[in-house]
Amino acid sequence: LGTHAMLPLLLLLLATAHGLVQIDYTPALASSELGGLVTTSTFTLKQPRCIFREHETAIIWLVVAIPEAVSSFNNSVEPGTPERAFQEFPNSTSAYMTLNTTFLNYPCPESTGDITVLRVGSETNCIKDEMRPTCNGPLPSPGPYRVKFLAFEGSEPVAETNWSEDITLGTAQSPSSISATGSGHSAGMITLTTILSILFAILLAALLAMLIFWSSDACGSSGTFSKSESVSVRRYNTHHVYDQPAARL
Amino acid sequence: MAKSDDGIHILQGLLVFGNVIIGACGIALTAECIYFVSNPHGLSPLLEASENNDISAAAWIGIFVGFALFALSILGIIGVIKCSRTLLMVYIILMLITFAFEMASCIMAATQRDFLTPNLFLKQMLERYQKSDNDKLTEQITQTWDNLMLQKNCCGVHGPSDWQDYTSAFRVTHSDADFPWPRNCCVMSAQGTPANIDGCKLGVPGYYNSNGCYDAISGSVNSYAWGVAWFGFAILCWTFCVLLGTMFYWSRIEY
Repeated sequence: LGTHAMLPLLLLLLATAHGLVQIDYTPALASSELGGLVTTSTFTLKQPRCIFREHETAIIWLVVAIPEAVSSFNNSVEPGTPERAFQEFPNSTSAYMTLNTTFLNYPCPESTGDITVLRVGSETNCIKDEMRPTCNGPLPSPGPYRVKFLAFEGSEPVAETNWSEDITLGTAQSPSSISATGSGHSAGMITLTTILSILFAILLAALLAMLIFWSSDACGSSGTFSKSESVSVRRYNTHHVYDQPAARL
Repeated sequence: MAKSDDGIHILQGLLVFGNVIIGACGIALTAECIYFVSNPHGLSPLLEASENNDISAAAWIGIFVGFALFALSILGIIGVIKCSRTLLMVYIILMLITFAFEMASCIMAATQRDFLTPNLFLKQMLERYQKSDNDKLTEQITQTWDNLMLQKNCCGVHGPSDWQDYTSAFRVTHSDADFPWPRNCCVMSAQGTPANIDGCKLGVPGYYNSNGCYDAISGSVNSYAWGVAWFGFAILCWTFCVLLGTMFYWSRIEY
């Protein structure tokens, strides 16, 4: 807290010509626990709680700019003008201002139970509405972007924070880049196919063997299961034998 | 003769027992395949849309094979008891044909299971969920995913990041700022509406489903494929033994 009080005093000496207080606070993305922290057209910042307590009557604006505009950024340009209109960003203008609020909405101390974030890009109904230049519309491209907070009293800027680091949004690929071809065959499927093929081949071979045995009648009568009665063959003495003595005469 | 008489009776008893088991398994296979075909987990549209619906075909073949096994087992029992060569020959030939069909069904189910990778479902979901064409299958896919995400408390295939990492048919009609992911990924209140829409859009843990649905899908598909492929495989192994026994028995019957 010591440096926090020292720096504004120091910078006040340097910046008295402009009347602009430089607050040593760097806007940052909110907690990475949030699944939707950075999407393809929005991002979520931590709220600048307790930062602007020296300027309780000022209106605090969020400035979103492309990184190239940071060095030449003019703080005096008022919000709501075409030079700072969301609808003109990034084609005609290199920065826009939005999410205006007062210190009342960023009070001290920070209540640790609630989720205190600023979602940049959540207003979708004013994207094309030129009557709403301070629209908090979704960002048109993946960026990168840099943001800072700027406080205005009336038409004069009175305080600003540091510029944030580059914030890059996500890019979405086309689903046709997903390769949905199979990763080959699993071991289970190969085992199953092999074993079944072998079993089937054995069965066919056994069938063939069975048919060959049947047609060649090679299997002997030992150990057969027969259901018919045994046929006995008897020798007959025919009447030819008794005729023979008559032929010898 | 007494010894081979015992041999006959033991073999006959074994074959009758084997055929009884085959008949029972046939009924079980038919019942199981009817259960799968009746779409109990509601995932049929996803399988149908994957353009290679062999698991369904395998289940249909399983139904008919089951009936055939039951009928043939009765034929086999009669043939064994009556010691009839013709009956048993018919039995063996028809059983071999049934064996071939069931083998095809098992292999199809197992092969298709390997085909259903997470990327397949991801691509299907991105290309067809909430697509605004008037296709009936697209509507079924949308409904299937909505029900899946609601009932299993999941989002996307790998997670909600699927909707951010890829463009989709959903993204065409729903802007990223309002719908980073579909509404059904949000935790719902008792009334069926999202408990906290802003919390859901921000991705606050507890207000949206941060896990993917692939586990739920693969569980159902696995039980489907295992039921058809591996149960069929078990039946075929048993049938193999019974058939070999029957062939041996047949070759020992004298005319």
